[in-house]
Amino acid sequence: MKKKVLSALLCTAMVATLAAGCGSSGGDSKDGEAAKSDDSGKKTYAIVTKAAGNPYNEKEAEGFQEVIEAEGGECIVKHPEAATADAQVSVIQSLISQGVDSIAIAANDENALQAALEEAMDAGIKVSCLDSKVNADSRMTFVNQAGTKEIGQALMDAVLDITGGEGQWAILSATSQAANQNAWIEAMKEVMTDEKYSKLELVEVAYGDDEPQKSTDQTLALLQKYPDLKLICAPTTVGINAAAKVLQDEGSDVKLTGLGLPSEMAEYIGDDDAHSCPYMYLWNPIDVGRLGAYTSIALVNGDITGAEGETFTAGDMGEYTITDAGDGGTEIILGPPFKFEPSNIDEWKDVY
Amino acid sequence: MAGKSGRSISNVPEKAIRKNILSWEGMLVVVFILMVIFCRSISPNFHLENVLREMPKYLAEAFIMLPMAYVLILGEIDISVGATVCLSATMTCMACNKELPFIAVVLVCLLVGTACGLINGLVLTNFTELPPMIVTLATQIIFRGIAEISLGSGGSVSLTNTDGFRMIAGKVGIIPYIFFLVVILAVIFAVVLAKTTFGRSVYAIGSNRLAAYYAGIPVQRIRLIIYTALGFMSGLAALFLTSVLYGANTTTGNGFEMDAIAMAVFGGISTAGGKGRLAGGIISAFVIIMLRIGLGQINMNPQLILVILGALLILAVLLPNIAGELKVKKKAANTK
Amino acid sequence: MKENKSILKKITGSREASLLIVLIILCIAITAKSPSFMTFKSITDMLKNNVVIMIMALGMLGVLLVGGIDISVASVLGFTGMIVGMLMKYEVVTSTPLLFVIAVAIGLVCGCVTGLVIAYGKVLPIIATMGFMYIYRGLAYVISNSEWASAENLGTFKDFALGKVLGLNNVIWVMIIIYVIFFIVMKWTKIGRKVYAVGSNREAAAISGISTKRIDVLVYTVMGTLSGLCGALAVSIYASAQPNMLYAKEMDVIAACVIGGVSMQGGRGSVVGAFLGSLILAIIAKALPLVGIESIAQNTVKGIIIMAVIILNVLAQRAMDRSNLKGREM
Repeated sequence: MKKKVLSALLCTAMVATLAAGCGSSGGDSKDGEAAKSDDSGKKTYAIVTKAAGNPYNEKEAEGFQEVIEAEGGECIVKHPEAATADAQVSVIQSLISQGVDSIAIAANDENALQAALEEAMDAGIKVSCLDSKVNADSRMTFVNQAGTKEIGQALMDAVLDITGGEGQWAILSATSQAANQNAWIEAMKEVMTDEKYSKLELVEVAYGDDEPQKSTDQTLALLQKYPDLKLICAPTTVGINAAAKVLQDEGSDVKLTGLGLPSEMAEYIGDDDAHSCPYMYLWNPIDVGRLGAYTSIALVNGDITGAEGETFTAGDMGEYTITDAGDGGTEIILGPPFKFEPSNIDEWKDVY
Repeated sequence: MAGKSGRSISNVPEKAIRKNILSWEGMLVVVFILMVIFCRSISPNFHLENVLREMPKYLAEAFIMLPMAYVLILGEIDISVGATVCLSATMTCMACNKELPFIAVVLVCLLVGTACGLINGLVLTNFTELPPMIVTLATQIIFRGIAEISLGSGGSVSLTNTDGFRMIAGKVGIIPYIFFLVVILAVIFAVVLAKTTFGRSVYAIGSNRLAAYYAGIPVQRIRLIIYTALGFMSGLAALFLTSVLYGANTTTGNGFEMDAIAMAVFGGISTAGGKGRLAGGIISAFVIIMLRIGLGQINMNPQLILVILGALLILAVLLPNIAGELKVKKKAANTK
Repeated sequence: MKENKSILKKITGSREASLLIVLIILCIAITAKSPSFMTFKSITDMLKNNVVIMIMALGMLGVLLVGGIDISVASVLGFTGMIVGMLMKYEVVTSTPLLFVIAVAIGLVCGCVTGLVIAYGKVLPIIATMGFMYIYRGLAYVISNSEWASAENLGTFKDFALGKVLGLNNVIWVMIIIYVIFFIVMKWTKIGRKVYAVGSNREAAAISGISTKRIDVLVYTVMGTLSGLCGALAVSIYASAQPNMLYAKEMDVIAACVIGGVSMQGGRGSVVGAFLGSLILAIIAKALPLVGIESIAQNTVKGIIIMAVIILNVLAQRAMDRSNLKGREM
């Protein structure tokens, strides 16, 4: 008797699902059309960030949203549940279901989004990435915040300048797998082969996993292991913050530079000995988002296809040209990294 | 043996348990139907085709839920499955990039998963004093660590040849293969748990380990088999996850353990051991999947979705408990 | 002679002793590779950087002693930390003591809710705290509104973690005080004994007149309170409040306790054990970069060390049990 009840219930469930499904596929075309007719008036542009709860990502999304809405489109800002590729896959698939016109994504992994993004492109969605790229097969183009080489050059010059041309220095990075950081570190190492930098000795690349606690441990270990250390270069926003705090609290002679958010670093930037960081670099995440938005719009309107050599106008940001990214795909470079120093930090710390 | 703690099996009337669970599963079915209607009403894109298309990634977690239910019924827990998925996905991608035939790649995937499960099982059965949570915490760090070492400084690997994985990500009509596999495996796991001596032994161990041991049940062998099966299924999950990702990285499979446990618990399987049936776990897996897909489609803040899932998880256990308490009180009042 | 033996036995027979030996071996090995490890500054730096885990290990000790578990602690920490950060950022509250009181109060409420659900709602601890783990962490994100509180926003609040009394950092003093209180409470007061009683045999404790439910609520409330305090401490120490603060660190807290010989079945474990356990974890984290292990292999090594420590502990325990048994036979 009970078994019968159970099986009856389970059957009901099956039928219910089927009914819901059928009902929908019956109404499917209607829905689709309704959505399409909506489309003709307003295109939908989506941006997928790396993770929720991070002001850098938030500013990027803000810039994106501002441009899309100003241009009369509809904007969807999607944060994944966690800073992983797994979570971004779910987000992309959900966006495919919603039938958006374009997806701009800041990828948590270069390769692991390929299947989802290919599916999106097959569904006619224009896929671009910004901030951190996906591989050439999974994108139409990439909005690069600053050329990898330029960042490497700028950071190396900062190292040269602050150390006075010679001595030991170390790098404090994010995780040992962070694609952006690794590319910049490689670029720095390449720049370092030049005669000019021959008196600089890179003693170690440490990884703080973008956790304040571990970054603190690593910074302290660097200080302990290398008493003659002159400088730490941290090309990651969490790492530079933790290192700055340690160095400043210790009153250490070791100086710091790298890539950091001005709002986070304002406390530590200064020329005197009381501050640990003389200057650092970053780009404007709002502009990254805005350029990403203009790129998405140009892709959806068919002004560009993401091929090398095409040009388009990004509103008041001027004209941009799509160039070869060196990985088989193309990219659009926002501009050189921006230098934050004591004279301009107060102006920027409230912006982002 | 008052059965107050709910741990004794012999004294609690069989019927009461059945009735209780039946009603819980019945309720889950109702919740499922309501969930489908709810999602349908909030999202115009929530229809069969889209749902089935979004489902494979979540279904990979359902694979893990099946043996995890066994582990929970034993009164134990395994939090290393996410790392196992990561390690086998990594090895799979690497094997595939070595241009092994696809069948060998599949074997590598399942073998690595099984090996991870076997290691957990061996440590746990040889050092029975150790709590499973802490052992699997250590192996979690180790498995993911090995994946990190193998992945090297890039931290991620992508498939150079995706043909095989495209094949297993295929569909019959609009229904993906993985859906059928989940259903078939769910039936097998449910039948083994409910109808065989093995399944009954699992309940016996979960209810009272010592008694089960003295009753001649090979406690340690059963534990070993279950942990190994969990590893195997994690390997299977890794295989299908790879077919969704075409690659692996150090964060692959993050949080799978919690999701799988949540699915089982929401389905009425008790982490105290000895209670629950797989049917509940399976239905609740679909409830959770529907909820995630539906709320995802209306672009709800992902952290809020987690808050909702957390609240559901607690309420799913809390409400029946309170209702049961009230009933008991009422009965007591009546008899007075 | 006989008495000497029994004292000796008492010392070697305790779990803490074997842990202490492991600890000493670890320290010697590290110092051999990196002499600067054993300096006062290096040790205090290490303690300061691990205060949060060490304090929470005490709360977890109480929870594990009654046979429960709490995996929501890192989320409570994130939640309270974020509240403190935001209050400071928008200058709603700027007084450091008041902020600490607020953080502790919020932690207390969070812990109390968890405790009530577990004790009176009869929800299993792992499930209840898993739910609250999602809920409190989600709330941390909601409160942050995608902003962080940075060093500049935190004004005088961050100075707390810089100040020193008698050469020791304030936060280390906080830890020491809490450890002393716990040591006294767990060892010499009624409440401490009740916690052990409930953990060793719940039914017996209930029959002997202990309100087991109240003890349950108590330990989770204490856990929450400490997590709240740690939320404020973490913000002060790292001069930054982010919604994903110490994400997934609850496992470190539990691992610290278990390494310290606290039983997950309840009833067994001590304040000293929790201290040594968290100290071992702290030393591992501190030493791995110092002794020059490739950063990519650090996690694996950490996992293997944890595994080795717990297995060694079991083997030592077995050997002790066997020798105890032998003594009885004679």
